[in-house]
Amino acid sequence: MSRWEGLQDLMRNWSAAAGMAIIAAILVVALAGPLLTPHDPLVPAPLDRLQGPSSAHPFGTDSLGRDILSRVIGGARISILIGVISVTISLLPGTLLGLLAGYFGRWIDSLIMRCMDMLLAFPAILLAIFITAVLEPNLTNTMIAVGIVYIPHYARIVRASVLSLKQQLFVQAVGHLGGSHTRILWRHVLPNCIPPIIVYATLGMGTAVLQAAALGFLGLGAQPPSPEWGAMLSEGRQYIQIAPHVAAFPGAAILLLVLGFNLFGDGLRDVLDPSLRSQ
Amino acid sequence: MRKFIILLAVTVCLAPLAVLAAGPSQGGTLIWGRGGDSVSLDLAQATDGESIKAGVQMLENLVIFEKDSMNVVPQLAESWTVSDDGLTWTFKLRKGVRFHDGEPFNAKAVYDSFARVIDPNHPFHSYGKWVYLSLSLGPVKQIKVVDDYTVALVTEKPYAPLLNNLALWLCPILSPKAMAEYKDQIGQHPVGTGPFKFSKWVKDDRIIMECNPDYWGDKAKVDQIILKSIPESSARLMALQSGAVDIADDLDPDSIRLVEANDQLTVIKQPSVNVGYLAINTDKPWLKDARVRQAIAHAIDKETLIASIFQGMAIPAKNPFPPSIWSYNDGIKPYAYDPAKAKKLFEDAGFDFSRELELWAMPVSRAYMPEPVKTAELIQAYLAAAGVKSKIVRMDWGTYLKKTSNGEHDLCMLGWLGGNADPDNFLYGLLSADTAKTPGAANVALWKNAEFTDLCLQAQRTFDKTERTKLYLKAQEIFHQEQPWVPLAHSTIVRCYNKRLHDVPLRPNGLNSFQMVSKDK
Repeated sequence: MSRWEGLQDLMRNWSAAAGMAIIAAILVVALAGPLLTPHDPLVPAPLDRLQGPSSAHPFGTDSLGRDILSRVIGGARISILIGVISVTISLLPGTLLGLLAGYFGRWIDSLIMRCMDMLLAFPAILLAIFITAVLEPNLTNTMIAVGIVYIPHYARIVRASVLSLKQQLFVQAVGHLGGSHTRILWRHVLPNCIPPIIVYATLGMGTAVLQAAALGFLGLGAQPPSPEWGAMLSEGRQYIQIAPHVAAFPGAAILLLVLGFNLFGDGLRDVLDPSLRSQ
Repeated sequence: MRKFIILLAVTVCLAPLAVLAAGPSQGGTLIWGRGGDSVSLDLAQATDGESIKAGVQMLENLVIFEKDSMNVVPQLAESWTVSDDGLTWTFKLRKGVRFHDGEPFNAKAVYDSFARVIDPNHPFHSYGKWVYLSLSLGPVKQIKVVDDYTVALVTEKPYAPLLNNLALWLCPILSPKAMAEYKDQIGQHPVGTGPFKFSKWVKDDRIIMECNPDYWGDKAKVDQIILKSIPESSARLMALQSGAVDIADDLDPDSIRLVEANDQLTVIKQPSVNVGYLAINTDKPWLKDARVRQAIAHAIDKETLIASIFQGMAIPAKNPFPPSIWSYNDGIKPYAYDPAKAKKLFEDAGFDFSRELELWAMPVSRAYMPEPVKTAELIQAYLAAAGVKSKIVRMDWGTYLKKTSNGEHDLCMLGWLGGNADPDNFLYGLLSADTAKTPGAANVALWKNAEFTDLCLQAQRTFDKTERTKLYLKAQEIFHQEQPWVPLAHSTIVRCYNKRLHDVPLRPNGLNSFQMVSKDK
């Protein structure tokens, strides 16, 4: 399968295409952010507070009179950043640990995987709350916390792939021909682990955005006046009876981005998983 | 149409009957929704509003404030006199009163209730942490039993605010038998003389009290009060709207507007005796110059803050205490909102604009600060307009109080409910050099001004109100010039409740006994 065919397959899969479209749209908004925002997302205009959607403020204003559209746009950048950085934080060490555990087995495997089991034993959000609370609540620490929480997931996926790859003839052949461990791992095992990692990372971005929003909602994530979507949602909750738009728009933004990552991830899995493709 | 007219006519005729049937009657359970649980119901050990509002239903003092004003009237004492030297206060006690456990109320009970606080040798002294000893009861050195129904309090120096302090919750008279039995657990099993008696406490959920059938005065009209903890403000509002609670405390100003618009519910308001302020840590080298503090005052638009976040339910503050308290200095000219002037003052004082100030925001809302984080965001924007960078810092309430009283902040938001309506409570208690000692400073600006402190101490020794007024007027001028706080607002306190309740009282300090409240069945 050439790369071009792969992309074509991907585009033919409606789920992947829809997901990609959503992510691309949000990415454009995030990158072009400051050019698009009609108002400064951080400067309050308290006398214009809690106005409903209008032509001046298409998404209305929040409790300090800030333009919600501008804040949602400003928040897109934060959310994408959270997704990418926290997934990177979990992906790199997770993959490395999984490779080592799966390939070398024995006590290395036991040591690494028991540590991973310990991390997994905590409910994800609880562990993330614990980490941010210890580190001091802010955006950077949110990304670190969400990243750490998902390390074991990557380690397990990679280890499972490595265990099956290790038995394959082409890997064993390299070993018998005198290939070093590094060469086997780097040139032969790792590349074949990549498809499941990509799928999981894509799905993981959605989860990371959601987790970070949850931390923001609890006041442990980005600190005011940052337009982080979870924090905006939390603020809006108080006005749900008099000004529902304050919670509705950031809520919809979270929904859309997470949906985008999930659709794209599902589509990717369908395309990359040979067992599904042959059907 | 005809049917409709007949129906209307019948309804109009029957309406008065319905009113008769539903008129106020005795009994029922009053459910009171509030933001959090109490800490201790022994009010000599409690400083938080949630403990005090529950405790005052069950415990009584020698004297009390009138139902809806801050005038002092008798409660367990029938009358009192002050000696000519101003050192001895003699109280004649009410006869025929019994505690909830059946024990008689007399001079011995008053003695034990006071002596456990002020006398380190009293057997009950080790059963508690007597927080008011260093504040309002500090000058009381001795309590003497004159006869079975007369006691005398002796102060080490003339102490004018004493009577108002005694009318607060802070020295309730408890049953000596119960204090001996429960020891340090008396706060979980309060036994007093009040119109309600303690029944049950489920932590973080509810406190239940029953009507005291043997009460010496007018008996409570409801059979039972349940204080229910509902931490989420919006959930409290919904509980009030649905009728699940009869009263909802501490709603935010936006929710109060919804309550006002609801036919089933009502709101009573009262200018409070509180202040919400931004304290400036005068110990930090970069905030030591009074011009910097004046600049911060000029940078903040209090009018807009009140019109928006307080929804108009406050008045802008220029002094440390509100105009409803005597000796308020109305001659003070407030610092006008003027970002350009603020910037100029910062420059004149040589303020380093690259420094990012830490702006500490309270994590809980209070009547004097209904939306602390929003207020902090607004102040942050105002400071930015004057060229000053700031970072909002948040932490949990216990840590916040501890760290601010250690002076770890640059700017911090706090407030005060001056329960006893005496200027001393604000000026000496929150701004004197004596209370600026870390750790545990009540003066979180750590402002140590000798002249100001002297004026406060002089006023404590002066019984003549005109003389005291002069001293306090002067003290407020010094405060204004030095601006260790930017006083922000004096908020209106409100009580939101269901119209099926009647005679709901509201004192300016928000603390009332609910014995007169009745509920429709």
